[in-house]
Amino acid sequence: MPSAPLLDREFLEKLERLTIHWQKSFAGLVGGHNVSRFAGGGQEFLDHRHFHHGDDLRAINWRAYLRLEKLFLKMFQVEPRVPVRMLLDTSGSMSAGSPEKFDYARKLAAALCYVGLVRLDTIAIQPFNEALGERCRSGGGRHRFSPVMDYLAGLRSEGRTDYLEVVRRFVTAYPQRGLLIVISDFLGAESCEKPLQYLADYGHELLLVQIWREEDRSPVWMGELDLVEAETGERLRVEVDATARERYTRAFDEFSKSLEALAARNAGRYVGISTSMAIEEFVFGSLVRARGVA
Amino acid sequence: MFFLNLSLGQLLVLFGSVSAVAVTLYLLDRSRRRQTVATLRFWVNAEQPVAVRRRHRIQQPLSLLLQILSMGLLLLAVAQPRLGSPGATVRNHVLILDTSAWMGAQIQGGKRTLMQEAQDRARSYLRALPSSDRVMIVRADALTMPATVFETNRKKLEAAIAGSHPGSTALNLDQAIEFARHSQALSAGRAGEIAVIGSGRVSRRESAEPLQGPVSNLRFVPVTETVENCGLTKIGLRKAAADPDLWEIFVSARNYGKSAQTLPLTLRFGGAPAGSRRLQLPPGAERESTFEYRTRAAGLLEATLFTHDAFPQDDRAVLELPPQKSLSVAVYSDESELLRPILAANPRVNATFYPTKDYSAMPQRDLVILDRFRPPTVPAVDSIWIDPPIPGSPIPVRTRLTTPKVARWRSGHALGSGLRTQDLRLESATVFEAAPSDIRIAEVDGGPVIVARPGKPKIVVIGFHPARSGIRYELATPLLFGNLLRWTTPEIFRRWELTGGSVGSVKMTLDSDLAESDVRVLSEDGRTLPFTVRERTLNTFVGAPGTVRVIAGDREIVYSLTLPEVADTMWEPPAGIRRGIPPARQAGAGSREIWQLLAILGAAGLLLEWYLFGRLRRIWFPIRKPVFLRKAS
Repeated sequence: MPSAPLLDREFLEKLERLTIHWQKSFAGLVGGHNVSRFAGGGQEFLDHRHFHHGDDLRAINWRAYLRLEKLFLKMFQVEPRVPVRMLLDTSGSMSAGSPEKFDYARKLAAALCYVGLVRLDTIAIQPFNEALGERCRSGGGRHRFSPVMDYLAGLRSEGRTDYLEVVRRFVTAYPQRGLLIVISDFLGAESCEKPLQYLADYGHELLLVQIWREEDRSPVWMGELDLVEAETGERLRVEVDATARERYTRAFDEFSKSLEALAARNAGRYVGISTSMAIEEFVFGSLVRARGVA
Repeated sequence: MFFLNLSLGQLLVLFGSVSAVAVTLYLLDRSRRRQTVATLRFWVNAEQPVAVRRRHRIQQPLSLLLQILSMGLLLLAVAQPRLGSPGATVRNHVLILDTSAWMGAQIQGGKRTLMQEAQDRARSYLRALPSSDRVMIVRADALTMPATVFETNRKKLEAAIAGSHPGSTALNLDQAIEFARHSQALSAGRAGEIAVIGSGRVSRRESAEPLQGPVSNLRFVPVTETVENCGLTKIGLRKAAADPDLWEIFVSARNYGKSAQTLPLTLRFGGAPAGSRRLQLPPGAERESTFEYRTRAAGLLEATLFTHDAFPQDDRAVLELPPQKSLSVAVYSDESELLRPILAANPRVNATFYPTKDYSAMPQRDLVILDRFRPPTVPAVDSIWIDPPIPGSPIPVRTRLTTPKVARWRSGHALGSGLRTQDLRLESATVFEAAPSDIRIAEVDGGPVIVARPGKPKIVVIGFHPARSGIRYELATPLLFGNLLRWTTPEIFRRWELTGGSVGSVKMTLDSDLAESDVRVLSEDGRTLPFTVRERTLNTFVGAPGTVRVIAGDREIVYSLTLPEVADTMWEPPAGIRRGIPPARQAGAGSREIWQLLAILGAAGLLLEWYLFGRLRRIWFPIRKPVFLRKAS
């Protein structure tokens, strides 16, 4: 029995009016969301100029020649070609509790990938936990979306997160700078701020999407608890009361704020989202406001 | 304050058990639970000290206290506490009014009956009870019948008392008390007294059995007066075995009083004297007298015991003698002297002989016998064909044999019952072509020679003449005709007995070879009555005067149950029970029920506990705790 698709058709149709947005101009790359000053091999017409020896004969405006008996060359606007990459967290913490953050993350990744494909961007989805997983690269239009869906549906959430190792390998594997969307809960045994700072320092534009469950932020348990960390299996015995829960929530919020500050400090963006919010509401609400998509 | 449903001890035991369960569940609920989380980082940051205290510590004493308190309140509500004194509560009394046959006995020189006296006592008892108490009136004779439900309306109760009349059966007191106990147990409220008002006369069987169950709330209000009584207990009739016109009549009488009596017993049939005796009846003794009376006529047989006692209902018994039925047989024969001895042997057969030329198809008889004669039309009634001519036989003829030997009799069937012969050869005999449904009574090697065909009318064909062959000297010949006549009209030859007795249970010993399916018990109007058969004894019960017919195979016993069933033993009340009419007791100020308030408080307590501490509530309705509780925790 085939499993249900990650995203329904109606939602995909709505996504077609969006564009993945980035702000930086990357060295060695043309593009960005401002109109290019350079003419080149794009689709959009830019201007005419006189034909010079050695120009491409295919770009000659033959209609103008018949009318004016002069050779004019058509010039086209250069389209941006900034690589868009997505780091998708597949560690064990993503599947702790219900509903699973991992399902939410996969849906979000699929939605952003579809937005990019519609705009003819090239997108690489790179799962990670302790290390980088097998990536999925797609581009060339919306008709290439189906393999992406199959790829995302086949991913499993397991293992622990090692951000430092992941960043080290990512930088090695992708020397070209570009937009880097990190979809994760950023929770685990080790801190993720420093590795993320390394990525920013390397020249990537960061779009951090933090996903959490309500219980990750505001636990409902009371009394004596034997807490087990999903990724490492480490245990902690605590006695939870209302004060402890408030402290916990405060600590979580401070962590989210530190991620947001990191992104802002490096000309990136940060969006936090609870799994209780519908994915459509998130994309067309929080993500648009954060200028992740436009 | 007092408890209506539970005693204080029961309440404390229940409360202790419930509290123990609540504490256990509480500790289990608050015990350490394993929880998988995405990270431990923030828990450490929350700086909450790791739990090092004992596991079974009560962490939220207010929650536990609320639970136990609420359940205690609910238990109290179940116990139905009342404010006031126990004596002031409404009680449920059962008043058993004796309506047995003996309550029709006259007292005070015939001016009143025991029943009227009992009704007066019952009214006095009602007046002695507080007006708020509920009373159920139960009429008791052999059967216990409630006349009211538990009722506070005194007018309804007095109407039920006034509507009580003596029945025809004896008192079954044990059954009535058992019924009263069940009624009190099933009714809400506090059980009051079970008051028995009556003569206390019960059957000897019941007086021998001790009263079952506690008697603490039993009260006996006796209605007694020295009553001398002699009465008929049983009258029975049966025909003498040798003389069908002679009736043997048995009459039993009993002296229920305390002084010896010599009383004349007379028997009258159709108004004419039929016999007379003087009976010597010592106290408590029963005597039986036997009479003989010769008659074939139907009529009323009346037995009268001439006594002037207080209970005239059992001084006279009347039985209806039915007409003596006989079998009317028309014999068409030109040699009537051959068959006359065979038919004359049975006194219940009235045979008329006609020459064959006077044959009539509608002879106004029960049975027709055709002797070697083919009638122009087949008779409309049952018929026996003796050696019929081959062309006119009602059953097809297979062949005619000379000197055949009788091979077998069908002795397993009622038609061949008791028939046997040895080396019997007939001069000649007709062999018939019997149908599968026909009964082959006698057969020779060539086939059946006597065949009976069931149906309406019944037909029997004999392939030879019994009086003209060698069988006329055999015992089988009269037995054969006896069986044939009994088979054609069984009701004429059924053994018949008539018994007069008292209303109540009827017992009859059945023949050992009789199947239960052959037994029927019919009422006067022909309805089937229920009965049981245990160890060859038939038991049935008749609650009202009337006639019951028991048909058991070829035997019919008619019970004319017109005499009242008079109990012969005084009930000995157990020691310690209360007697007489109690002193009048006014209703108290009344007690107030508070179980509703306790139930509401208990439910509110549980709701509050769930609201403040419930685990599921925290998921469904995440609300903030009041400030004072947050500070407390």
